[in-house]
Amino acid sequence: MSTEIKELKYSTFKTNIKYSVINTKVHNVDGIAKVTGRAQYTFDIKLPGMLYGKILRSPHPHARIINIDTTRAMELPGVKAVVTGKDTLGIKQGIWRRYEELCDEQILPLEKVRYIGEPVAAVAAVTEEIAEQALDLIDVEYEVLPAVFEPLDAIKKDAPVIHEGVERNVNVTRHIEWGDVDEAFAEAEKNGGYIREDWFRCSGQHHMCMETRAAVSSYTPEGKLTVWASTQSAYYTQALLAGVLGMREGDVRVIATYVGGGFGGKFELDAAMFCSAVLSKKLCKPVKIVFTREEDMIASKRRTPMYYYVRTAMSRDGQLLARESRMFSNGGAYTGMGATALYLSGFFHSFPYKWKAYRYDGYRVYTNTMPSTSMRGFGAPQAMFCSEQQIEWMCADLGLDPYEVRRKNAHTECYEVPGQAFIQSCGMTECIDKIEEWAKSKGDLGPNRAIGISSCGFMSGGIFNWFDSPYSFSSAVVTINIDGTVELHVGCQDIGQGSNTTMAIIAAETLGVKVEDIKVHSGDTDHCPADLGAWGSRQTLMAGNAVKMACEDAKRQLLEFAYAEMGLNIVYDLDIKDRWVHVIARPERGMKYEDLVRKAIRAKDGQRIVGRGYYTPHRKGMISPAYSYMMQAVDAEIDPETGKIKVHEIMTAHDCGQPINPLGLVGQLEGAASMALGYAYLEDLPMDEGKLLNPNLVDYKVIRAPEMPKTGMIDIETYEAEGPYGAKEAGEGLTNPTAAALGNAIFHALGIQMKELPLTPERILRALREKKEKEANK
Amino acid sequence: MNYKCPACKKEWPTSKQVARHMFGTGDKAHRAWIESQGYSYIDLLLEQVSEPGNKSYEILSGLIEKAQDKL
Repeated sequence: MSTEIKELKYSTFKTNIKYSVINTKVHNVDGIAKVTGRAQYTFDIKLPGMLYGKILRSPHPHARIINIDTTRAMELPGVKAVVTGKDTLGIKQGIWRRYEELCDEQILPLEKVRYIGEPVAAVAAVTEEIAEQALDLIDVEYEVLPAVFEPLDAIKKDAPVIHEGVERNVNVTRHIEWGDVDEAFAEAEKNGGYIREDWFRCSGQHHMCMETRAAVSSYTPEGKLTVWASTQSAYYTQALLAGVLGMREGDVRVIATYVGGGFGGKFELDAAMFCSAVLSKKLCKPVKIVFTREEDMIASKRRTPMYYYVRTAMSRDGQLLARESRMFSNGGAYTGMGATALYLSGFFHSFPYKWKAYRYDGYRVYTNTMPSTSMRGFGAPQAMFCSEQQIEWMCADLGLDPYEVRRKNAHTECYEVPGQAFIQSCGMTECIDKIEEWAKSKGDLGPNRAIGISSCGFMSGGIFNWFDSPYSFSSAVVTINIDGTVELHVGCQDIGQGSNTTMAIIAAETLGVKVEDIKVHSGDTDHCPADLGAWGSRQTLMAGNAVKMACEDAKRQLLEFAYAEMGLNIVYDLDIKDRWVHVIARPERGMKYEDLVRKAIRAKDGQRIVGRGYYTPHRKGMISPAYSYMMQAVDAEIDPETGKIKVHEIMTAHDCGQPINPLGLVGQLEGAASMALGYAYLEDLPMDEGKLLNPNLVDYKVIRAPEMPKTGMIDIETYEAEGPYGAKEAGEGLTNPTAAALGNAIFHALGIQMKELPLTPERILRALREKKEKEANK
Repeated sequence: MNYKCPACKKEWPTSKQVARHMFGTGDKAHRAWIESQGYSYIDLLLEQVSEPGNKSYEILSGLIEKAQDKL
């Protein structure tokens, strides 16, 4: 970190620094390779002698495996191997490696299956079709067990036990509390405050990556395994695979150069990776497994469905006094990343307000359904749907201005969330002001149409090391070649969100060169430093800091040589901008960057200039080193006859610190709006006895181009001392406010309170009927 | 006066904070202590979520306060 940032700590302001590359419109560094079809995704990998794998999956939500007979499948011409749990080390794995009891998933289980679609055997054959045919020839004898699908049923004393030894199927619990909540509610009641309680139900959502889960594994007799995988973290995949295969991490190479989307669903070990590796180890041949869309939907993971009880006390003048929330989440069959979502949901449920007293009890419950995990927003979209709607309703009940109430209670810079987090930069109030201004400028929208608002905040990288990584959270190595071009090796993972471009921008700015001088190398554990990967909005801040540090290290070496070469008075400062090395006070006095590099490498006995950087957060609270803030407004029209929603426009005022990549930011905003709107009113995962009813893109509705509304962003620039060049999170958090804002738009348009996601026409019509009945009964 | 956790002896200013720590930790040692007092850890937890108020924390705080002399 440079000195000027430390001096500016805890201060939010607009910087007047003129950057050469940062916040300029830069094309995606991977863009040409992608649009010309040269970018190779795992799906595209073809190796000599490669076999194709397919996975046999459980038809039962809960069953004991009595026997698996693979004889008939092995006899099918073209089949090379069939593996079951007996061909593995039988190790239970999970991403929460610090807690053994949370490592509960054995891919290819030996004893029982816990959800429909769970893998039970895998086949490798010379073609995909033969592998598929062989699945029908595997005979599995099951003893079907009673199953349970909803968390509120699974905690009952007589519910089926999903994991032996786990009482009442409670997987993980989380309690967050500060202040005296009971006293605060009692006082609110005594002083005539307003207390309201509501139950909400938030649905699941599929990640719906364009690239389904896929892996190609190639094990060679030297004992080395190379895996091409569609993953959000090459390092996690490497470490988890090594663990379950009984190999050293260094003997497993994971390559993930291009990934077709992740959204939180691709940083655990999946069956494509594991089964292809087991088959390849057995055969010493490359094996490729690509999930079909249906497999991806029934047997990957999903956004966590949640039941929320929320009780809030507000004074008559709009001061938030206390909140008590309880949440049950449908964890599905295994822990995965769901344990983190449980915590984050409770934490962000308090955002972005200053609660004097707050209590959250979260319970993650095992059920016989597909596992739930992290998904863009990490539990916060559900939390905000409940919180921001209830606050809106309370404002309406009390006749208060919802903007004013939010402003009155909003986080401000230097605020401490008691015992949890310290907020350095915060532009929440400015976000509220701007959205209020925008909404009021729209004037009267006509009948059945209204603007709903929602505010929220989100983390810029999680301070969690449940994986127990001994490595820095992010690392970078920068090498400057003789011609001035730069090789930037990072462990962070580009999953389509554009992190390689962001890292190139930070490197170019720091070194004083052009983006086209930077070549980013990522997604290869053999050649890139370890990094926790793409999750929790961590890459811009964490990997960005590592890149900045590495480039500062390399630049320092260059400038030391420049001082000597130019024979400068030591009071002069040197800098590099636009490939020009110069005296800051006299910019015309200097030398070409390429000339300096050539001379410096000669002076270093022919060694290229190498800089190293790393970042691990310290003393930054329990959640994140920094927080983004935003307020979103959704302009929606609802047809009261059909319940159909038309979203006209989404406007977001967004504080992401100093924007690094403005084109990327717009892409994130649009992508988040599409995903969050889908969650709000279209996407759902209905099940019958644990069986997903819509595992295809005909029945599972995502936002299509004609439904995509106009989106806009008002950029609230702050400076985050902990972020590289003052940057914070931008992208994941934008998924959080939309469902609540749409719910609030429906409330203002039709006067109905929506407590269940998604906001389908059927639910809207039911709420309208109930409203009419209530009015008639009055 | 600080209150000690009967299972791991960590200290907090209030017994409720110790209760919060015990529920939050929930490992074998902490569960075993609660169960040695005649309560089910999981039942107390689920009561906390399914009943209004803070009853489970109050019960556990009371047990922790009573146990302080023996720690």
